[in-house]
Amino acid sequence: MAATFFGEVVKAPCRAGTEDQEEEEEGRRETAEDREVRRQLARKREVRLFRRQTKTSLEVSLLEKYPCSKFIIAIGNNAVAFLSSFVMNSGVWEEVGCAKLWNEWCRTTDKTHLSPAEAFCVFYHLKSSPSVFGSCARKNMQVTLLTCRHVTDYKTSESISSLHSPFLKALKTQNFKEPPCCSLLEQPNIVHDLPAAVLSYCQVWKIPAVLYLCFTDVMKLDLITVEAFKPILSSRSLKGLVKNIPQSTDILKKLLTTNEIQSNIYT
Amino acid sequence: MASRYDRAITVFSPDGHLFQVEYAQEAVKKGSTAVGIRGTDIVVLGVEKKSVAKLQDERTVRKICALDDHVCMAFAGLTADARVVINRARVECQSYKLTVEDPVTVEYITRFIATLKQKYTQSNGRRPFGISALIVGFDDDGIPRLYQTDPSGTYHAWKANAIGRSAKTVREFLEKNYTDDVIANDSEAIKLAIRALLEVVQSGGKNIELAIIRRNQPLKMFSAREIELQVTEIEKEKEEAEKKKSKKTT
Repeated sequence: MAATFFGEVVKAPCRAGTEDQEEEEEGRRETAEDREVRRQLARKREVRLFRRQTKTSLEVSLLEKYPCSKFIIAIGNNAVAFLSSFVMNSGVWEEVGCAKLWNEWCRTTDKTHLSPAEAFCVFYHLKSSPSVFGSCARKNMQVTLLTCRHVTDYKTSESISSLHSPFLKALKTQNFKEPPCCSLLEQPNIVHDLPAAVLSYCQVWKIPAVLYLCFTDVMKLDLITVEAFKPILSSRSLKGLVKNIPQSTDILKKLLTTNEIQSNIYT
Repeated sequence: MASRYDRAITVFSPDGHLFQVEYAQEAVKKGSTAVGIRGTDIVVLGVEKKSVAKLQDERTVRKICALDDHVCMAFAGLTADARVVINRARVECQSYKLTVEDPVTVEYITRFIATLKQKYTQSNGRRPFGISALIVGFDDDGIPRLYQTDPSGTYHAWKANAIGRSAKTVREFLEKNYTDDVIANDSEAIKLAIRALLEVVQSGGKNIELAIIRRNQPLKMFSAREIELQVTEIEKEKEEAEKKKSKKTT
């Protein structure tokens, strides 16, 4: 197994078995049928960019159409709730596009009519302050990522009882010169999935990027976890975008009550 | 690392952990907060009420349950496990009374519950109970008691403690504010419990449930209005304390 720069793990070919042809064939156990199935699945996998209101596809890459200097990505329901209540309630944000994907791990076989509950990502653009999105992409862009992880994944030599969850940790690329709003993520902790892919990409292309990772013990939408992201509001990248904090807290509370799933397992 | 030793309850890991028991303690943290305070003449149990669905009958969602006339408990964790433990404890209380003709002591019933929980950490095919309990009451000798049990089957006596989500924050608050003067006065003890819960409860007095037992008196559950009155008093006291502080500084 090897990891590429983009955070995906690929199976590296074995260097030891190239001489002995017979052994290789026995070991592989892959028939032509398997290969055909895999090819068909690869063809079916797709990522589509389109506008939700008109349902038309976006021909041009989003970054070219809307070049921006600040790109903020929130992954996970707590991070999204934080952005929706604190950042997106000030100013008018216009939805510019939406990405939907399908691969063989999706639970539905119908790829043309993906419901809103399927994995997808929505892109918003600040209408009232187009100067924020001025220069061309990649050159002066700064990326901020927000996500959550369960505190049991946090590896530390301290005693677990001394941890006050939720807490924030930061991980940044080399070009990010600003001091982060919280302490850096210590070794041997690692970042997984999409945030890792984005950070790797930014590191390679020398884009300043910072990931704020919130370790929490409640993975579902929770007020205390969302409020743990508040120190980020004082950072330079988000300062201009946040106006009304008390109103944001109300919006957040409303969001929580509408999204609360009644579960009676734990009392 | 942990994954090879955390499936079976009866398997120790090389460094001496019983992972299923530790994971059960994580399940306890998913329950809402419960706080218990032992005063000189009163014992108080306060819990954070979970918000009830519109069509749900509120009476059936209770975190504070009486085990006998003089003993009651609050739990945090898996609801169904709590129901089983409470039923067994209630039966044991009556069985003891019929056999020995004396009501159970708080320590006896706590030990019974703790032994029950420990049994489930040592037999195969069963998982531990995912609950922690705060058991309060008065013994025949008139001494107030507060015990806490956890999924591993240990139990300890406490002067004040909290379990469930944000238990650590509440416990720190109690450590700072539990004084002998406070607990000597019944209403101060009640206020301390409510103040401790208000530190972590999201919507104030509406989501708090409180129960007290006074010496030689049965369990009393506070109504929503009584709790609101207490909360209003606490807020008034807080405002007055802040006014005094600002006067001192100016």
